[in-house]
Amino acid sequence: MSQPMDAGTGSATTAGPAIRAQELTKRFGPFVAVDSVSFEVPAGSIFGLLGANGAGKSTTIRMLCGLLAPTSGTATVAGIDIARNPEGVKRRIGYMSQRFSLYNDLTVEENIRFFGGVYGLSDRELVERQRETVRLAGLEGREKLLARELSGGWKQRLALGCAMLHRPGIVFLDEPTGGTDPISRRLFWDVINELAQAGTTVLVTTHYLDEAEYCNELVLMHAGRIVAQGSPGVLKREVITGSVFEVECSDPVAGMSALRGVPEVRETAIFATRLHVSLDRDQDIETALAALRSAGLSVSGHARIVPSLEDVFIRLIDRNGAATE
Amino acid sequence: MRTIRFIIRKEFQQLRRDRRLLPLIFLSPVLQIALLGYAANMDVKDIPLAVCDQDHSVESRQLVTSFLESGSYVAAAYVPDAASAERSIEQGKSSLALVIPPEFGRSLTGRKAAPLQLLADGSDSQSAAIGLTYATLIVSRAQTAQAAARLLGLDPRVLSQIKAVQVDPAVRVLYNPTLASRNFMVPGVLALILMVITTILTSQAIVKEKELGTLEQLIVTPITPRQLIIGKLAPFVLISLVIITVVLFASLLLFGIAVRGSLLVLYALSLLFMLSSLGIGLFVSTVARTQQQAMMISMFFFMMPMIILSGFVFPIESMPPVIQAVTYIFPLRYYFVIIRGLFLKGVSFAELWRETAALAAIGIFVIAASVLRFRKRLE
Amino acid sequence: MSRMRIATIMVKELRQISRDPATLGVLLVVPLFLLLMFGFAISLDVKHIQLAVLDHDTTQYSREFLQSFLHSEYFDLKLVLDRENQIDGLLDEGKVLVAMVIPRGFGRDVANGQRVEIQAIVDGSNGNTAATAIGYVQAVAADYSQRAFVRSLERAGVTGMKTAIDFQPRVLFNPELRSANFLIPGLIVLILMMTAVLSTTLSIVREKERGTMEQISVSPVRPLELIVGKTVPYLFISLVAAATILAASRLLFGVTVRGSWLDLGIVTLIFLFGCLGFGVLLSTLSDSQQVAFLLASLLTLLPTFILSGFVFPFRNMPWIIQAVSYLLPGRYYLAALRAIMVKGVGFPAFGNQVLALLIFAAATGGLSVLRLRRQGE
Repeated sequence: MSQPMDAGTGSATTAGPAIRAQELTKRFGPFVAVDSVSFEVPAGSIFGLLGANGAGKSTTIRMLCGLLAPTSGTATVAGIDIARNPEGVKRRIGYMSQRFSLYNDLTVEENIRFFGGVYGLSDRELVERQRETVRLAGLEGREKLLARELSGGWKQRLALGCAMLHRPGIVFLDEPTGGTDPISRRLFWDVINELAQAGTTVLVTTHYLDEAEYCNELVLMHAGRIVAQGSPGVLKREVITGSVFEVECSDPVAGMSALRGVPEVRETAIFATRLHVSLDRDQDIETALAALRSAGLSVSGHARIVPSLEDVFIRLIDRNGAATE
Repeated sequence: MRTIRFIIRKEFQQLRRDRRLLPLIFLSPVLQIALLGYAANMDVKDIPLAVCDQDHSVESRQLVTSFLESGSYVAAAYVPDAASAERSIEQGKSSLALVIPPEFGRSLTGRKAAPLQLLADGSDSQSAAIGLTYATLIVSRAQTAQAAARLLGLDPRVLSQIKAVQVDPAVRVLYNPTLASRNFMVPGVLALILMVITTILTSQAIVKEKELGTLEQLIVTPITPRQLIIGKLAPFVLISLVIITVVLFASLLLFGIAVRGSLLVLYALSLLFMLSSLGIGLFVSTVARTQQQAMMISMFFFMMPMIILSGFVFPIESMPPVIQAVTYIFPLRYYFVIIRGLFLKGVSFAELWRETAALAAIGIFVIAASVLRFRKRLE
Repeated sequence: MSRMRIATIMVKELRQISRDPATLGVLLVVPLFLLLMFGFAISLDVKHIQLAVLDHDTTQYSREFLQSFLHSEYFDLKLVLDRENQIDGLLDEGKVLVAMVIPRGFGRDVANGQRVEIQAIVDGSNGNTAATAIGYVQAVAADYSQRAFVRSLERAGVTGMKTAIDFQPRVLFNPELRSANFLIPGLIVLILMMTAVLSTTLSIVREKERGTMEQISVSPVRPLELIVGKTVPYLFISLVAAATILAASRLLFGVTVRGSWLDLGIVTLIFLFGCLGFGVLLSTLSDSQQVAFLLASLLTLLPTFILSGFVFPFRNMPWIIQAVSYLLPGRYYLAALRAIMVKGVGFPAFGNQVLALLIFAAATGGLSVLRLRRQGE
């Protein structure tokens, strides 16, 4: 992958973060979609905005791209103020919107040529980049297919390619892997890593917690606010005090109710057929197991596990949707 | 500008892909003008007349003949009495009924007033009004003839003092000697068709991308509002040129109606008209949030009012001043004057400068408004 | 047919409608707004004909003659000319419709009982208006001649010359010949038709475009149920709109309903069914909302305006075109409206119209179901 065009903002020698948000807020009437969000994204890193639907991720990303004007707060992207010079921002970034917005009734190459042309690529550059993008997306031989005829994974890679045609130093990806199979998602993240290694700053929103592991740094959002921030490792270490055990039990739903009354148990969550039991002290697992057995459930196994981001997330946001600390 | 070229290319590519759209755009005007050009005919002639002659005298037969030979009426039914004449009107079989009572002939020869009744279908006030006017004229002529006949029996000295005044209007009809309403209506139908198609085409232009989500991807690029608007308009301007040619050709072939004025002026001004019409559709597209909204707005606030109020068949001068004021913003109003002037009167540009200026003003205003309204923001 | 499934679809559609108050407002309020705007504006009465006069004679006779024109409500004196070469320019620019030239010696000829010719130059562009204007000119001239004749008879002492023919014209149904009674029903037809067809035509195509149509095809909902469920809410809305504009035409335009309101309601119901069904049919034929809108506009707007008998009489149309008009529901509804409202006749007189409307409703409904079924496979 060749160097990003705007190496000025992408290279490590630039002073200052690629993206900086300060108290960014967006209100739609009485509804606060984004509430005083602040973070910094160093150049060349992969930064994740994590959260459930409606948490405010898309609104945040849209503000950073100059698509929405913030109600209050400031942000700079590549050193440019998003509120004062949104068009300047747009020239330097790539953006992939949530709906993989390609033109469904245009072919692969027509889409590429259009977006390339609109970004000001010369004819020669267009030919080069088209070949590259097609290869990157794995669409050799399929250039004449209509975009709507592509399956999810290809479409997503094509959309990414179209967003990168002008070699921006910063890319914003809004739920880029929504609705695609795990293999496509993996492939996609391979591409993102490649980009980051070449110096491109990537800001991704996702609600897939497993993908969040691939980010250098994360921000967890809930109801418009940031509830946690840090690298995946740091988050797991700091948020989960104590340990998490995975327990195999015959009826997880019943098990969960059984453990509700147990004071030593911090939290319980169902993971398919297993329970994740969160405890302050390792030895409290015996109390938990006893509670399950006395509820008439059989336990086939238990083990201490490394907490996943999902555990982190659940710890932070309880079932009623209120943020806990 | 390069960007505009890319947008235009994309628009054409998309138009080609929608299989049904292009044939519709080019064929439907021809069909419409064939259908509607023949139908838009307001000549009031061959009014169906129910004849009720209860007298069967020479005089009554003469009267009936004068009605039927006037060219304005055609015998729809021969009925025996006034009641069946009324029924004939009720059922819509005839618009007028001539009822000649049994004493008609006798009263005339006996120098008494001979009663004559004419029934008219008021629900069709057009035909009724004109039918009555013609009938009054025919009867009036019959009166004069009768009066002259009666005078023959008078004293010659008295006769010499009587002045048979007869003022005859010698009528000269300009531009359309046959008074065929077709010559007036076909250019009008042409204008209507052009207006409908252009407004529909552009009203979707921007709002469709809004709804599908591609607009978001578009406004995050360096594209400027001006580039987008021009890029969206240009393909339709080209298409408009083709449509104008097609319908002009069709009117010539089907109706033999050719342009008396300059063809170049017609093209130029038609293009100007379509530009302002396209501009209105585009403006609606920037205002509406969904395609459905765009359609409703363009249909109910622009197309239907323009069709009814721009002077196609209902004269603007007869409208209340408030509504007349509204029609000043309708490009169609000016285009009717232009196209009818060019087809019928053979006027030159000099007589049409006012309308041209109005169209230009509307076009510029609407397109500028679209550019200004179009924000590269999402809310 | 499952009533439950239909109800579910209806509820969903109603919810979508209620969340889009703009559309609801348009469907309910706009028909009334349009009726008001158009109803007050349109008329076919040829009045206020702009007249230019060139009087070479300038005698008492010529002035009296001109007065008879101005007293009639048909003519407005716009310009008094002094040169003949002004006439062509005026007519070219459309400033006047008729230019009248009275020759020198007019008064002398009238006084002597000699036939005299005046010139009337008429802008024939709008053949109909021109023919009417000519008719009026002839009528006024004939009337003037008649009155002058009668006066000279009286002066000569000839009395007892009764008018030979006692002409009694009687206008049925609309005695004042108000074109409103003729035109308003046509407006009602046009407005209702456009509202009804547009409301349904977009409903199904929207789902196609958004991709939610697949989910419906996969569900147990049958095509007929889908159509009924999606159409009925709009039927209610259209009925309300119809009621408001019928009421408005009665209250504001004085178009009375001579016949039965019940008949009116039933006929309107059947007509609306057909229109809504037509909208659905169009949406099954289109893949994009744009095409649906194009089809709906092209097939209903201008054809209904021109071919339904609203303004242009059928008998002038070539038989092929008349045949096409038989396909338009607007034609039948208008005939029925005029029969019920203006003529006040009962069911047998407009039975054919009702039958035609029923056939149309059944046809559009049936075709829609067939197409939906085929598309689902």
